[in-house]
Amino acid sequence: MNLFQEFTKGFVKENPVFIMALGLCPTLAVTSSVENAIGMGLAATFVLVFSNMIISLIKNLIPAKIRIPAYIVVIASFVTIVDMVMHAYFPAVHKNLGLFIPLIVVNCIILGRAEAFASKNNLTRSLVDGFGMGFGFTLALVVIGGIREVLGAGQFLGFNVLPETYKPMLVAILAPGAFLVMGLLMGLMNLKKNK
Amino acid sequence: MKYYLKLGFILLIITAFASGILAFINSLTDPIIKINEKKQKEEARLEVHPEAVIFDSVGVLNDEVVYIAKVEDGSIIGYTFMAIKYGYSSDIKTMVGVKPDYSINKIKIISQAETPGLGANCGNPEFHDKFLGLSYDNLLVDKDGGNIISITGATITTRTITNSIKEALNSLEKLLTDHSLEEVAE
Amino acid sequence: MEFIGKIFALAVAAIFVQNFVLMRFLGLCPYIGVSKKLDSALGMGMAVIFVMTMASSFTWLIQTHLLVPLKLEFLQTIAFILTIASLVQLVEMIIQKTAPALYKALGVFLPLITTNCAVLGVAILNINDELSFIESVFNGFFAGVGFTLVLLLMAGIRERLEKAEIPPSMKGMPIAMIVAGCMALAFLGFSGLKI
Repeated sequence: MNLFQEFTKGFVKENPVFIMALGLCPTLAVTSSVENAIGMGLAATFVLVFSNMIISLIKNLIPAKIRIPAYIVVIASFVTIVDMVMHAYFPAVHKNLGLFIPLIVVNCIILGRAEAFASKNNLTRSLVDGFGMGFGFTLALVVIGGIREVLGAGQFLGFNVLPETYKPMLVAILAPGAFLVMGLLMGLMNLKKNK
Repeated sequence: MKYYLKLGFILLIITAFASGILAFINSLTDPIIKINEKKQKEEARLEVHPEAVIFDSVGVLNDEVVYIAKVEDGSIIGYTFMAIKYGYSSDIKTMVGVKPDYSINKIKIISQAETPGLGANCGNPEFHDKFLGLSYDNLLVDKDGGNIISITGATITTRTITNSIKEALNSLEKLLTDHSLEEVAE
Repeated sequence: MEFIGKIFALAVAAIFVQNFVLMRFLGLCPYIGVSKKLDSALGMGMAVIFVMTMASSFTWLIQTHLLVPLKLEFLQTIAFILTIASLVQLVEMIIQKTAPALYKALGVFLPLITTNCAVLGVAILNINDELSFIESVFNGFFAGVGFTLVLLLMAGIRERLEKAEIPPSMKGMPIAMIVAGCMALAFLGFSGLKI
């Protein structure tokens, strides 16, 4: 697989959320608005890219038996960095994402890519994989967030996009709406895959 | 046994290294975070008493400093304090500015994590306006016989905020009385 | 007497009003992955309850007696996740020795409890909500119970769904999500319930 394919595989074909069903917790929790979705997507991408980078650099130095705890320490460090930086420079988004920023450390996408890819590939490929998967994740979040915000609040990124007469379907931005939108989108993806 | 010790040691080195880097970044970001929080509170105080020029601290209520708001010539135009109570799904913190007669000058919701689209609308200016000019006796939501119309689908949030302000007002009166007694005693 | 009341209120909140899976979106990956059969769901649920209770106690102690006194709160994420990873490792070894059949049944899902966002989630929530030690332990326990409850309900429904006629693109994940959405709608009815 050449580098470009490596990069774009995370967008649709191996999209971490829709196809591999990873990282579900934050996906459902932060997609009540597009702004939060983008914030989480970028934060997770940062962690993913840097963890992949460090892990592919030190992969030969770590004995196999403790590789999972070692990866966890690396990932947790970058998550803490993102947490601190967001708290200082983007306090509004940090407050909205709340608990789910430290929870990036248990986002199966990041540990999954570290184990499946970064530990077995060189630096360049790992970086590209990190960016690609991160972008795919962000894309999925924005799509779900967009649907939920438009249906549930008549807005996109805080801008009203539906006429005044639209009475928002509040359930879309509440918990059940997340599950229902997700289920329908996954069904649609399967439909496209099977065609 | 020696093998496991070696494994543990390597893990320790990695963790120590990571902690070192984090401590460094923490030293950079922590001051900024503290400054932001202070600034946010100062701005909130000014919002609930826009004409105030001086804020003198006078005590602590709900873990937040209570201030006397004064204008240039030193005359008192009111007080600011923080009301806090757990609403539907989060603690709701409200900065309240009252006139010397304890009627509400203005309020501002500082932090909340209520349901988006429902309780979270308490952050909007339209909600704050409902409280203008009210005093202790008419701080009641419509369902309790008062005049504050609850947010649609967010009666709990509305009632919580109303009650939190009432409770804080009670404590405020006591705090200020104690303080002026202290001043007289000095 | 007031203590029992407090604990009861904690239980109702953790299991129903703020159910960890359906309202807080924590613990979704194993929820979707393990809920296909009733008995493996029960085994997983028991393991999770145990880990969540122990994790709540250990992380509370570490936060209160190590991180705060030494002003190391920024190491919370790393410290907590390493504690949880070690606990899961311990549980795995214990189950392997004492109940090999259960160990085989749970298979790869046991180590996956480490990345169960519900475990790290409840540990952080205990600190954020400023619960005492006893309250944290109980909160962890009841959160696990809530998780298990929803897991069992889901497994029961999915076992029946196996025999139902579902459009091919909706089979598996999508229909599981829709079911979760309906359950979340039902649990939404508990909102506002305060003891």
